[in-house]
Amino acid sequence: MGKICLVLCLLFAIVGLTAYKGMEQVVPMGDYIFNYPANFGNRINVPADNPTTQQGVYLGRLLFYEPKLSATNTVSCGNCHQQSKAFTDGRALSIGVNNGLATRNSMSLANLLWARKFFWDGRAASLEDQVLFPLTNPHEMGQSIQASVQKLSNTLLYPGLFKIVYGDSTITGDRIAKAIAQFERTLISANSRYDQYLRNAYKPTDDELKGMELFNHGPDPEKGIRGANCTHCHGGPKTYLELFHNNGLDSISKDEGMAAFTGLVTDRGRFKVPTLRNIALTAPYMHDGRFKTLDEVVAHYSEHIKQSVSLSAFLQGESNEMGGHSLKLLPKEKKQLIAFLNMLTDSTFITDKRFGNPHQSTKN
Amino acid sequence: MKKYAIVLLLLIAGLTTNAQTATKEAVIKVTGEVTTPLTIGNAEFQQYKQTTVTRKDKDGKDHTYSGVLVSDILAKAGVTLGPELRGENLAKYLLVEASDGYQVLFALAELDKGFTDRTIILADKVDGQPLVPADGPFRIIIQDEKKPARCIKQVTAMKVMFAK
Repeated sequence: MGKICLVLCLLFAIVGLTAYKGMEQVVPMGDYIFNYPANFGNRINVPADNPTTQQGVYLGRLLFYEPKLSATNTVSCGNCHQQSKAFTDGRALSIGVNNGLATRNSMSLANLLWARKFFWDGRAASLEDQVLFPLTNPHEMGQSIQASVQKLSNTLLYPGLFKIVYGDSTITGDRIAKAIAQFERTLISANSRYDQYLRNAYKPTDDELKGMELFNHGPDPEKGIRGANCTHCHGGPKTYLELFHNNGLDSISKDEGMAAFTGLVTDRGRFKVPTLRNIALTAPYMHDGRFKTLDEVVAHYSEHIKQSVSLSAFLQGESNEMGGHSLKLLPKEKKQLIAFLNMLTDSTFITDKRFGNPHQSTKN
Repeated sequence: MKKYAIVLLLLIAGLTTNAQTATKEAVIKVTGEVTTPLTIGNAEFQQYKQTTVTRKDKDGKDHTYSGVLVSDILAKAGVTLGPELRGENLAKYLLVEASDGYQVLFALAELDKGFTDRTIILADKVDGQPLVPADGPFRIIIQDEKKPARCIKQVTAMKVMFAK
């Protein structure tokens, strides 16, 4: 009898341990290693109090796609940041809970690991700070942090996951933001045809090459150099330099941009220069989504820059024509430029399973 | 009548909001490895000894920029220049930032007259006129530097730091 008991006990113990091990395998553990090309540089931005871990990224991904974080249980971060559109949503202004409209166009989340200022006006100094805004903004996800904490605490899934990530099962707004930020830092886009070209693995077409030349050069009609001067703000392998400019959309910008908090007249209508990664997928364009196509965007820079006291210096008097006031690209050059912009589409980024919605496979 | 009063009130409110959001004076914050952090607006700027630097601009012509030596500003903030610029202090740099987020840096030794005669100033005027809004009110001007890329415009911050 005693023997049977012992065997049974051992059996239970083994089953129990196996089950525990099974649970362990579901959540990957350990430091998260970022993989990116050397030419992206190592000026990455990970706060000391939120190191990236595999378990943190796992939790962050679940939260990123978690509609319970919205007042109506219908909107997650993933609604306005859809992977298939390089984490934008195809709308001029996103629709939040109760059909409210966000104030500005949904930004792509590619390569945020290198960003130091967030939002169109750069007002947040960390992703962790940024995350809290859409969660609580009445026109986006519209739910207080307390309500989100309450809802997550009442699930079977989350308290255990928070324990794995943070050491105890307490759910707080700070921990929610940290996990989402961890996941967002992993959204690295580095395999476009442009990246492949930079590592000698893709031969561009003639149009793409000519477009690249225009992209990389400032116009200098005296020397016969034609250019679109794009790298002034979109330079480097990441096509992102973390700059903020008034790019001449309006003579008086309706949206104050950075001036809303700096109070400087020269900051009116000054917005973040976004990455051009996957730009063909992230229409419509500009902070208010006013341009539906890349043709409209290129036409703006070529012919329609509006003069104002806030207009950035590099857009004043840059022209391919002697004494000209705007770029004045030829129709053929515009096409070539757009051919190059299409080279920035990274199809592996938009289909990478690690970035997709995990809830289909998780019981919540 | 009441309607007019409301419209008038709204109008005044609108004007005051505009005034509040767009009339702040641009200043430069000097921070980091300093003993005295500084905030420099036009009034403070004019108290420094004024000097000039001539350099070619994009138009290929010489222009005279006037302003103050960057080293004078740093000295006032208590940055380790002059006799103190030795040993580990040579691993310090000045990071200059502009309104548009652009950043450039100088090793402290580039700014110290014990090391170089090349003058680096923070300018507020070109050929006697205030800098245009897209360039000013303050711009770094580096004597004889071939490329203009470090002549950073619309300067908002100067931070002295140790290289890590």
